[in-house]
Order: sequence, then C-alpha cells, then structure tokens
Amino acid sequence: MATTIAGVEKEKLVGKRLRRREDPRLITGTATYVDDIHLEDMQYAAIVRSPHAAARILSIEIAAAQNSPGVIAVFTGKDTEKVGGVPCGASLPGLRVPHHNVLAVGRVYFVGHPVAVVVAKDRYMAQDAADLVEVNYEPLPAVADPEKALAPGAAPVHPEWPDNVAFTFHQDGGDVDKAFAEADVVVKQRITSQRLIPMAMETRGVVAEWHGADRQLNLYTSTQIPHLVRTLVATMLGLDENRVRVITPEVGGGFGSKLNVYAEEALMGWIAQKIQKPVKWIETRRENFLCTIHGRGHVDYYELAAKRDGTILGIKLKIIQDVGAYHQLLTPAIPTLSVLMMPGIYKTQNIRADIVGAFTNCMPTDAYRGAGRPEATHGIERMVDILADELQIDPAEIRLKNFVANDQFPFHTATGLMYDSGNYAAPLKKALDLVDYGKLRQEQADARKQGKWIGIGISTYGEICAIGPSPATPAGGWESATVKIEPSGKVTIMTGACPHGQGEETTFAQIAADELGISVDDVLVVRGDTSIVQYGIGTFGSRGTAIGGTAVYFALQDLKEKIKKFGAVLLESDDVTFSGGNVVCNKTGQSKSLPEVAASAYRAMKLPPNTEPGLVSTRFWEPPNFTFPFGTHIVVSEIDGQTGEVKIRRYVAVDDCGNRINPLIIDGQVHGGIAQGIGQALWEQAVYDDNGQLLSGELTDYAVPRAHMMPWIESEHTTTPSPVNPLGVKGVGEAGTIGCSPAVVNSVVDALSPLGVRHIDMPLTPEKIWHILSKGA
Amino acid sequence: MKISGSHMLAVPPERAYQMMQDPDILARAVPGCEALEKTDENEYRMKMKMVLASLSGVFDGKIRIADLNPPSSFRLIVEGSGRPGFIKGDGLLHLAANANGGTEVSYHGDVQVGGTIAAVGQRLLDGTAKILIRKFFERLAACAN
Amino acid sequence: MVPQKFEYAAPDSLKSVLQLLDAGAKPLAGGMSLIPMMKLRLAAPEQLVDLQKVKELSYIRESGNAIHIGAMTTHYEVETFPVLLRKCPLLAETAAEIGDLQVRNRGTIGGSVAHADPSADYPAALQALEAKLVLIGAQKERTVSAAEFFVDAFTTVLEPGEIVREVIVPAEELGTGTRYEKVVQPASGFAIVGVAVRVRRSAGKISFVRVGITGLSNHSYRATSAEATLAGTTGAAADVQNAAALVAEGIDANSDLHASANYRKHLASVHAARAITTAISRAS
Repeated sequence: MATTIAGVEKEKLVGKRLRRREDPRLITGTATYVDDIHLEDMQYAAIVRSPHAAARILSIEIAAAQNSPGVIAVFTGKDTEKVGGVPCGASLPGLRVPHHNVLAVGRVYFVGHPVAVVVAKDRYMAQDAADLVEVNYEPLPAVADPEKALAPGAAPVHPEWPDNVAFTFHQDGGDVDKAFAEADVVVKQRITSQRLIPMAMETRGVVAEWHGADRQLNLYTSTQIPHLVRTLVATMLGLDENRVRVITPEVGGGFGSKLNVYAEEALMGWIAQKIQKPVKWIETRRENFLCTIHGRGHVDYYELAAKRDGTILGIKLKIIQDVGAYHQLLTPAIPTLSVLMMPGIYKTQNIRADIVGAFTNCMPTDAYRGAGRPEATHGIERMVDILADELQIDPAEIRLKNFVANDQFPFHTATGLMYDSGNYAAPLKKALDLVDYGKLRQEQADARKQGKWIGIGISTYGEICAIGPSPATPAGGWESATVKIEPSGKVTIMTGACPHGQGEETTFAQIAADELGISVDDVLVVRGDTSIVQYGIGTFGSRGTAIGGTAVYFALQDLKEKIKKFGAVLLESDDVTFSGGNVVCNKTGQSKSLPEVAASAYRAMKLPPNTEPGLVSTRFWEPPNFTFPFGTHIVVSEIDGQTGEVKIRRYVAVDDCGNRINPLIIDGQVHGGIAQGIGQALWEQAVYDDNGQLLSGELTDYAVPRAHMMPWIESEHTTTPSPVNPLGVKGVGEAGTIGCSPAVVNSVVDALSPLGVRHIDMPLTPEKIWHILSKGA
Repeated sequence: MKISGSHMLAVPPERAYQMMQDPDILARAVPGCEALEKTDENEYRMKMKMVLASLSGVFDGKIRIADLNPPSSFRLIVEGSGRPGFIKGDGLLHLAANANGGTEVSYHGDVQVGGTIAAVGQRLLDGTAKILIRKFFERLAACAN
Repeated sequence: MVPQKFEYAAPDSLKSVLQLLDAGAKPLAGGMSLIPMMKLRLAAPEQLVDLQKVKELSYIRESGNAIHIGAMTTHYEVETFPVLLRKCPLLAETAAEIGDLQVRNRGTIGGSVAHADPSADYPAALQALEAKLVLIGAQKERTVSAAEFFVDAFTTVLEPGEIVREVIVPAEELGTGTRYEKVVQPASGFAIVGVAVRVRRSAGKISFVRVGITGLSNHSYRATSAEATLAGTTGAAADVQNAAALVAEGIDANSDLHASANYRKHLASVHAARAITTAISRAS
C-alpha cells in the first residue's frame, strides 16, 4: 500500500516491524519509575504485616517504634478507620463484600495483612522501627484451600459468613438437560488452574505529596489505570477528584496485578496529609508475593456431552473460585469471564455454569494476564482432548468438526456473546502443516516403539479482547484519545489507555503517521498523568489498541477534515485533498504542507467558515462489541521416562489477532504470553500450607520462567479483520497465555496416553509425572 | 511439616525422662538456648538464638509438656516467635529401654512455621529441623555422661 | 528488602581481612547468599569485611599435579579457565552449571564452599576430586580434605575468624573421564541433586572411580559403596546400574516443595548412572 506525496511513494507504516520507540530509555536505564521520584523532605513508609493467616489482634505496642531514630509517625488501624474501604468494583447479585480497611482493625485475615505503618526519614530507619512494633496476636484457625473452605465445619474466614461463600453465579444457555439426555457419551473431569503470582519485575510503589493550602494530592503510583485510581482514592480519602492528580511514570510490568486499587495507595495519600510531607512506599519483593493480587485459583468440574461422531452437544461447568480474604477491584468478575468463554470456539449452544466464590485466608485473586479466559480455555481444550480420547477420534479432527463455521459469523454463543469474525480452521490447518502433522504422528508411533514418550498437544483457542463495551464492564468500557497537531505540525497524542509496555507509543504513532502522511518521529504519545490526559479507562483485557487506538483513529479523522478546511483557505480553493502530509489543490496541483496548515490554524488570520482555530480533537470511543481473536498452538513434548522431566521439543503458535499494526510487537506479546503460559503449565504455583502460610513466597521457590528455560517459538499468523472497529484489529496481549497451557498439558497427556492417562493438573512437575510413570510401569 | 526420627541416650528411660523435664538440662541441651525459666508446672519460658550459616534470629518461646506418662512418653509443645517469624512444634516422644541399658527416644510430630522463614526457608526447613533435633539429643547425651 | 545497619570494610590485603575477622567481622565474598539474607533481615552481621579487593585471593595456578584456586575466583573464571578446562574439566563443568550467568560472574568458589549450602554444586565435584581446602585465620593456616570440610547443612569445620583461602584440586591423569550431572531446581537454580563422577580404565576394567553427591541430604558426600561396586568391572550398562543404585543407600534424604525424599533418591540413582556412563565414555 502506498500514498503519493508530490509524486514520491510513501510507504504505509501500519503493518511494519518498527522497533519500539520507548525502548531506548528502557534499555539504557534512563526511564523514570516510581522509585526514581525524589521529592524535597520526602519520608519513607514501612508496613508491619501479619505473619498469621487468621488471628485476633490483642494489642499493638508502638512506643519503641515511635522512639526509634528518624521516625516521625506510627499509625495503626485505629488511626485509619475513617479512610474508606479498599473498593470492589464488580457487582453480582448477593455478593458478600467484607469491609476492607487499609490497615487491619481487630483481626487479620491473611499473611501479609497490613497492621501498622511506620514513617521515617529513610527506608532503613523506617524498617528498623517497623521491626520494633510489637503486635500481640491470638492465632485463629485458618483455611487456605477453596474446597476445604466450602466443606462443612471449615474455619470461617469472616465470622459473619460461616459458610465461606463469597458469591454464587448461575448461567444457563440453550437446553443443557436435553443435550445431556440425548448424548451418546458424557465425559467428566476435575481440572484445576492453580494460584499464580503475577510477578511484575517492578513491584508496586507509591509516592504521595500533599499541598495543604490547595487541598491537592499528587499521587505517583505504578498502575495500569491512573484515572480509576484517582476516582476511587479520592472517594476513599474524601477529597475532590479534580484535586487528586495521579501520575503513573514508567510501569515495569503489570499483567493485571496493577489493574487495581490497593490499600497502600490510599494509605500513602492519607499519611501525606497527616504528616504534611511527601511520603514514599516501595513494595519489597516479599510484599509483592504476599500482598499484590494473585491470579487463577480455580477448581473446575467439567462435563461434556457429545454424540458418538464427536459432535459436542453441551457443557456443564462448576467453578470453585479461590477468592482469598477480600474482594479486590475485580475479584468476583474474573470467573464470570471464564463462563463467557466456556464454549471456546465450538458451536454448541447448550451450557450450564455455576460459580461458587470461596473466601480463604489468602491474598485475594484478581485479574492476571488472560483473567478468566486462560482458565476457561484450559478447561474446554482439555475436555475436547478427553472426549477425543474417549471416542478415539484425532484431536485435530474433533476440533474441526465442532468449530463455528465461517458462514456463521457473527455468531451468537450460548453464553450471550457475539463472536465478531473468525476462520477457526485456518490457523489450525496452518499449524498442522507447519508441524507436518501426519508425519509427526508417524514419528510418535515409531518413537513409542523405542520406548520414548513423545506427545503432541493441540490447543485451538478463542478469547475475548477489547474489553469491552461499557454495559459489560464495571467502570465504562470505552477509551479516550486527544490528538493535538501543534502549530509546528508536530503531533501529540494523549491516550487515556495508559499503555505501560505494550508498545502503543510506537503503534499509535504508526497509525497517526499513516493517517497524516508524516513520520513517526513527528508523533509523541503521552500517557499516565490525570492532569494532562483526559479521563481514560486504562490498559487491560487486550483493549489498548482495539479501543484506545480506535479513539486515536477517530480523532485523526476529525483533524484531517479540519486540515482540509484550513488548507482550502490557504490554497483559496474548495477542491482539495489531504494526502501524503500535504493539502493539494486538485485543480492547480499547488500544495501546503501540514506545518504550514497547522501554523495557519493557530495563527487564525483567516478562519474557514464555522471553524474554530486550532487543531485538537478529543474522542471517547464506545465499542459496539468485544473482539474475538483466536488461533492454534501446537506443542511437541518429550518426557524423560526415568525422571518425569518434560521437554518442549517444538512450539508452533499461529495467532489471528485481526489486522496487524506492528508484527514485531505482536511477536513480543505472543512470546511473553507463551512464557507465562508455559510457566503455569510446568513450573509456577503459589503454594499455601494448611495454615495459610505462603510457602513459595520468594524467588528461591516460585519458579518464574527465564529466557533459557523457553523453547524456540515458531510464530505464524492468519489475518481475519475485526468488523468491530475501523482498524480491523482484535488485540493480542493475552493470546499467548490463553492458548498456551492446554497445548502443553495436552501434549504431555498425549505422551502418557498409553498408560491410560487422561488428565494431569498443572504444574506438570517432574515428580508428578514420575509418579504416573512409576504407577504405569 | 511432619517430622519423625529416633535417637539413643545412654541412660535408662527413667533417667532420660527425668532429664527431659529438668530445666537446667533442657537449657543446656536446647540449641541456642540463652535463657530458660520455669513459669508453671510443666511450662517454661525460653529465649533461643538460632544461628545457621548466615541466618540468625532470636526467638522468644514457650515449652509446654503435656500428657505425662513417665517414663515411657510425653507430649512436647514448643512455640517461638521472633522477627523472622514464628515456629510451632507439637510432638509425641516415646522412650523405650534398649538392650544396652540405654533408651531409644523416638518422636513424631508436626512443625509449623510462619512469617519470613516460612516463605524463604522452604528449601532449608527439613534439613534445619534435622540438625536442631540431632544437636538437642547430642547435647542431652553429653549431659547424661 | 533493606538490611539492618552494618559496618563495612573492604581492605586490599589478606592480613587486614584476617585481623577484622579475628575481631568478629563476617566475611563477604560474592554475596550471592549473604546479601539476600541480609536484605530479608534473616542475617544481620554487625560488621562485614568484603574480600573483593584482596587480589591475593584471586588466582588459578598449576603446581605439580595440583591446581590451586584462590577463594575469590569467580564461578565464571573456574568455568572458562583454560588450565581447568584441560586438566580438571569436572570442576569447570560443575561451575558452568551454577545458577545463571549473573551469579557465576559474582559468586566465588571460596564463598560458595564456606557457605556449605546443601544444594550447592561445587561440593559434589570437590568430594569426587578429593579436593583439599586451605583454611586460614589470624593465628594459623591448615589444610583439610573436602570430606572433612563439609559437616552439615551450612556447617563446615571453619572456626570463627577463619576463611577458605584456596581450593586444591588434582590435575587429572591422562585418560580420566569425568562428568557432572545436575537436576536443576527451576526457581533457585540450585541442585535438587548433583552427581560428579571421575573414572579411569585400565586393561578394559574400571581402575579408578569417584562419585560425589550433593543436594540429596544435609551435606555432600562420596558414594563409596557405589564406587566399590563399580571398581574392577568392565563398566558395562549393568555394572553402572548396580553401582548407581547404591548412591543414595542409607542416606537421610531431604524433602521440600520441589522434590520429596524418595524422588530425590531416585533422581540421584538415575543421574549417577548417566554421569557414570558419560564419564566412562570420556575416559580413554
């Protein structure tokens, strides 16, 4: 594709593998993170946290801490009782929401629960003093497992709800009873999706600065949602929203864990007012393990009804969601996303889902990369393999048989979604070709004869991106953009989406450069300051480009119209076109460059009719629907028959995320997502013991995948544009994580299928596999 | 964490039993014990400094003896807390005479840890528990001589 | 993640280091274990003496049939030093398996062995190599064998004020085949088990064999019954299996989140067989 600039071809930038413009500052260590903020007379906070999962607080002795050198204040839950509770933004009928104080009052509910905070001149003094706070606890029985929590006689997490039920949710679609009655075969399986720790490389951090005379709070915080933090923290502290400024400098990873409002954000804002000085709190890695939200935490009971030919007739699913001790911002909403996704990309119209949210004495779960969709995809993709095994049908064939057909789009699912566009067979066929599936199965058969354990795992995933239309979200599902063309012709984009590593400083510039016919270097993308950027929602749910990018696109269309009007005045002609960065008179061929037109728009010597000076447009774009990317991941794994160790021999990912703005960034997103997916499949697990102690609470025991543990990823794509937005994009931030884990587990189960193995829960630790091999042999 | 094991003492069960209830001997035998005082019948307060490699921590603790059945068994409940976290142990000790006129002390029980040590000490807990228990019996054996 | 207050000295001579140690300072070598513990406040030494500037502790020297490695030699140096690669490849191969590149660039052999982590890699090799460790304090210098040195988890024969000065390993006789096999704990990079093997053959028979084990229990050891079983055989697959089956015999294996005691023992046997097989294939 090309447009003409005065006879010169200008190549389109959308679709190009442009290197990320944000990377130089990130890789040279010159980017500014919260911990790089230093303010005059800034104090440091250290938080005293509970070592018990459940205990009554009998007394808190703070005198020694108060007298410790450098300490200016020590606060406990009694002091902060008037601060509003940590908010839960999601709502469900009958949802039980325990009041969540920023500092514990009277009782602690999980290990790491904040009990007191010490403020001192530096971090060392603050920690020294925090060590002197003596909290006298009366330990109480705790429960750390969601199924045990729901069993009769379990220790109550919140005494007011002795059954530990945080919420229930039910959804029926079609006629599931009829489907099961008519089925030739029903397969059942309990499938877990273990608790994970999101593990952003940059832990959370807050700097709060209070300007008393103006009643103005400046809050620097590492978040994915600065405007929502502003609204909610203002409410918690009883401040005027327009006098709270949230600044989000560089964010070193979020993955959903910073899609939240945390106690510490309000607490630091409150402390800054109390001490009349700026205060900083930087979360330690220990705290990050204990006190930043966890992900997943599902126990799922699946039933799949099918005909003998493999046609899936219906699905029943019961989800037991490990809630943790409280609801954080979106906790109860996450498993409802699993329900929406439960049919996967299969056409069955009969579903029944039940969720029980269980309180446990653990850190709350919430959105972690994929948020509800990886759990659902893992479940359905495992179940389809189990069905294929039951019916002795090839797993690729059974999938092809059940896919929503190309002519069925837009497709209405039994769960109430409308899939926008799809060609589900295309990535599957491409992936099968890439691995040479027929030959691979033959090689597997040969290898088995030699006593080798080789498995092939297929995952054909679908997911929900561009979250999402406002009615489907707790806080508005639109996104905003302001595009300003400055008098010099340089372009500033202010995005409400607050990208934090997803590469939109590059991709939004690519969109703007193409629309305006200019260089990406002429475009600046600004985000992350509520005093500069118009209200926005944030980056999560693979929404940044599909919604935020579309808002940018529409603002650019407004400006293109206005540029034409100002150009027409300059060229004294009504017959002009804007192309290749110039307004051209169609009659004379004379042209005015964008800088010339921009200057005239601000100089305003002669305005076009009914036109205001300046070149600024703000758009809030409300998407009419989600988008639904899809793809196929195929894993070939080999198991060490003596030790149970799993090696991934091949990883093929064919992803369809609609139109592709920057394939290099897409590859990065896919690779990162797959790394986290493999992490869940093979290594990662947040292990709480029966007393609610987090045993995998440091990087010595929590196995985050590292580069050298990754297989080579063969990344390919198909392109099915989305009709939902004019860019035709769908989103790709979570696809890797969603598609990955079932492909890995399916391959290992396939390898072990000669032993009659049908399912193994994640993580597939060598010892677990060794036990299976030992039993089988 | 479940623990179990057995150790030999070169004294008959009656003496072994008596030693394990003697505050002076316990103070000498418990590794890192800096102070031990009797607070009640069968209850002691203890200050213990644990040093292992570069790790060190001071624990304030309580020892309680229950289900006394001299000289063949008793239950030992140890609770300690300090900055690194807390430890709680609850075990049953059986004393049996062996052929050489000595005593075989076998134990099984449960150890709970909390706080920082629970999270970062995972890899070390099993080995550490073994060391501490072995040291205790070695010192006890030394007291017996 | 902020340590407690401590004093810090970084002298450039061993003599000054020993004086400070004598006065109660805690030695800091690469800091790969001590610093994280200090940041968690599980360790709180009042005074640290950093050995980083002591040039006289950083060397690899060949002398006769032995290679002397200064305590402050990094794992990366051990991994890549030509003399070691040629004459004591077992140690170089072991060093290459430690942690990750960042750890290998900072961590030192002296610091690692003195710390005596039961899952550290070096002890397996040092047991198999029958290495000697030179220990030095303000008053005296002494030499102990690896077998004597490692007493228990994090416990060595080092006395207060004493440090490891150097590690002495043999320059292998021509024809010795060696191998280090490791099961990596995926989070920490430590060895769930590690097996180091040296073998020599003569007239078609195994004439010399040493097997060192780490990670399995509270301290490294030489699997002498496995050695005895293999010695004198032809080193056929069955001989190897018979020997390997004995490496964990009578050992009180540790257990954690990553591997139960039984699984650890199983892994030790499997990897002992693999290590022995590879070592034999490398022996000429």
